[in-house]
Amino acid sequence: MTELEFVFGDPRICSGCTTCANTCSMYFYKVISPARARNRVIRVEPALDFPLFCRNCEDAPCIEACPEQALMRTSKGIVIVNNKKCVGHGECVKACPYYAIRIHPDTGKAFKCIQCGECVDRCPADAIFMTTEKDLAERDKDGSMRALYEQYKDVIYDKEEDSL
Amino acid sequence: MITGVGGQVLWVDLTKGTIEKRPLDEEMVKDYLLGAGYLSRTLFDHIPKGIDPLSEKNVLGIATGLLTGSMFPQASRHVVAGLSPLTDIWGESHAAGFWGAELKFAGYDAIVFTGASKSPVYLNIRDDDVQLLNAETAGIWGKDVFETDDILKGKHGKRIKTLSIGQAGENLVRFAAIMNDRDRASARSGLGAVMGSKKLKAVAVRGTGKLEVADPKNYLKEIDKFHKRMMANPFTEGRIKFGTTSLVELMQHIGRLPSYNMRQGVFDGFEKISGDAINEQYFVKARADFSCLQRCGRYTAVRTGPYAYEGGAPEFETQSSMGSRCGNDNLESVLFGHHLANQYGMDTISLGATISWAMEAWDEGLLTADDTGGVDLSWGNHETVVKLTRMIALREGFGDILAEGSARAAQKIGRGTEKFVMAVKKQEIAGQEPRAQKSMGLAAVTAARGADHLYGFPVLDEAGFDNEIKERFGKQYLPEMAERLNPKYKGIMVKECEDYMVMVESVGVCKYGTQIPPEFFYDDIALALEIHNGLDLSSKELQVIGERIVNLNRLFNARLGITRKDDCLPERFIKEKAPTGPSAGEIVELDRMLDEYYTERGWDLKTGLPTKETLARLGLSKDA
Repeated sequence: MTELEFVFGDPRICSGCTTCANTCSMYFYKVISPARARNRVIRVEPALDFPLFCRNCEDAPCIEACPEQALMRTSKGIVIVNNKKCVGHGECVKACPYYAIRIHPDTGKAFKCIQCGECVDRCPADAIFMTTEKDLAERDKDGSMRALYEQYKDVIYDKEEDSL
Repeated sequence: MITGVGGQVLWVDLTKGTIEKRPLDEEMVKDYLLGAGYLSRTLFDHIPKGIDPLSEKNVLGIATGLLTGSMFPQASRHVVAGLSPLTDIWGESHAAGFWGAELKFAGYDAIVFTGASKSPVYLNIRDDDVQLLNAETAGIWGKDVFETDDILKGKHGKRIKTLSIGQAGENLVRFAAIMNDRDRASARSGLGAVMGSKKLKAVAVRGTGKLEVADPKNYLKEIDKFHKRMMANPFTEGRIKFGTTSLVELMQHIGRLPSYNMRQGVFDGFEKISGDAINEQYFVKARADFSCLQRCGRYTAVRTGPYAYEGGAPEFETQSSMGSRCGNDNLESVLFGHHLANQYGMDTISLGATISWAMEAWDEGLLTADDTGGVDLSWGNHETVVKLTRMIALREGFGDILAEGSARAAQKIGRGTEKFVMAVKKQEIAGQEPRAQKSMGLAAVTAARGADHLYGFPVLDEAGFDNEIKERFGKQYLPEMAERLNPKYKGIMVKECEDYMVMVESVGVCKYGTQIPPEFFYDDIALALEIHNGLDLSSKELQVIGERIVNLNRLFNARLGITRKDDCLPERFIKEKAPTGPSAGEIVELDRMLDEYYTERGWDLKTGLPTKETLARLGLSKDA
């Protein structure tokens, strides 16, 4: 299998403009709605803006968690939701440590970032990029970028806060 | 049907404690758009003549623009309006942030507050669920803007966006701001005091809805083109790097940097308070608002010492008002002062200008320690600038008089201090020494909300926009219109810019991008309104809407007795020559420019009011 790709961003560079989220909800659902974007942007003081995406985990707990087997990894390594199988009971949401898979408010089915890259091209701050674990380690040699995600995980991955 | 909007307006009667949801009046949108235009019409119809702005009869409106929440560059803005307690005439102010877009996602385009509550309340909006809640038991009354944001997020969830007043608004400081998203300010006109008088502390909103757009098929394609143009604009790089802070250097260069209460337009210590100085030591990050590509917002920090803080600050306006205008070259005090003003919720322009008025009166020997309770008002006393910021917000000691604004304070103290009030219609002139740019002098007197640089924001003669002048007006206006010291054609320019800017404030996008740099113009807005809102409005129709709004604002003020006699500058600018710097020897040739302006507007030269023909042409005959 090719190395798993995912979108990641530097919260010190991200300006918080939400262009990535707006791009996403428009690209996939033809609306502007952060609640319907497959990514999220969370502003945290002091001076951080977290652009958040599916991390495309090697062990993908969302796949395991689904009792309907609605989630699968494609040959290109992308985890996708089979809408025909998904009944939206949200076991995948509970299983994801990054709150990167959620239930769509209109369809009632799980939805997530599929690494399409539409947002990456449009980021005005060049804060987000398509990467792999190996590439990320290269970009973030001192680990300071990833450390911020760890430090603020209670805030940025808080599921209750984002659900209605 | 108009798409891309919330579709409803909240009418909140604070006296009765009732909330009504009304559908957005689409007919009105066709004549006034949303945002500034919507509020101009609505408040003209609902604010009675002859009331006290701080009484329950005042009406406070908050409205998003038609494009707020869209993907158009910088479509993040909302407008607040009401009768101003600072000027007693039309009051209006604007801010960026995320609050406006969030309101749209909750399903609302505007909120109109009538009446006044007996006890402190706040409005909590969670999509369909809208409630007036007790601000005292929530523990936010008496708290500053940041504390209020923290407490409300603790109570209603981290993802809410808040708009609130700080202590300044509660204490009815006449230049109190309405703040949102912590450090965004609808600062001018003192509408924070109107919120305070209504005992309305905050509006929290969480919206999880969606904006459907008129042309989903081509939306991203067209937006991509707008984005590419914005990013490729030669000004964008500097905007990201400096925000507005490098204007200190530019203004010093043309002699337009208000110094020593506008005695002059140059300041020896300008380098110490410049954009470069901020970037060298205090800059942390460029921050954007919703859909904003230029991210002019600054996040800064002073790490140690008496002025330690971190947060969103500053803007050029504060560098000039709390810096050069007060003869203050202590940058840390300016940054901290801005931070404090955000925290208490105050307009830094009127704040710095009121302090600098007092400093000049002190310098002239008209104010003494007996008046100030021992506060030393020497030029450049940075400790005083910071101390007075607190005292004004809390109305302590001498701060209580200054909290009335410079015009009222001077009236109260008398002794000739009135001469040093640098205001138009009781609102302090912003950071544009008018003798160094004549169009700004004219714009300050014609603006509906009293002295103001943003109502018209005539910057085409500021930084070499000759090509834009040629395209927008025709080459016959060159070179005079492009010359900042030449009064010729400035009436024509200011009129055109006002029409455009009020239209921009009605669609909810930023003056950055539409005016400086002038990247997007009427035809671009028309296209955005078509793909987002499904509105078929031509550039010409949009211009007429802008003109209609300006005229309606004028009628609002005319009803309160405003005429040509009030369209005047302090004597300093029309009689005393600029003493030094690149604009030395200049005065503002105001009457000449006003004649041209009124003529261009179709307003009577003697009264300065719209003629019958003008009103008929704009469909405003019944409003005169």
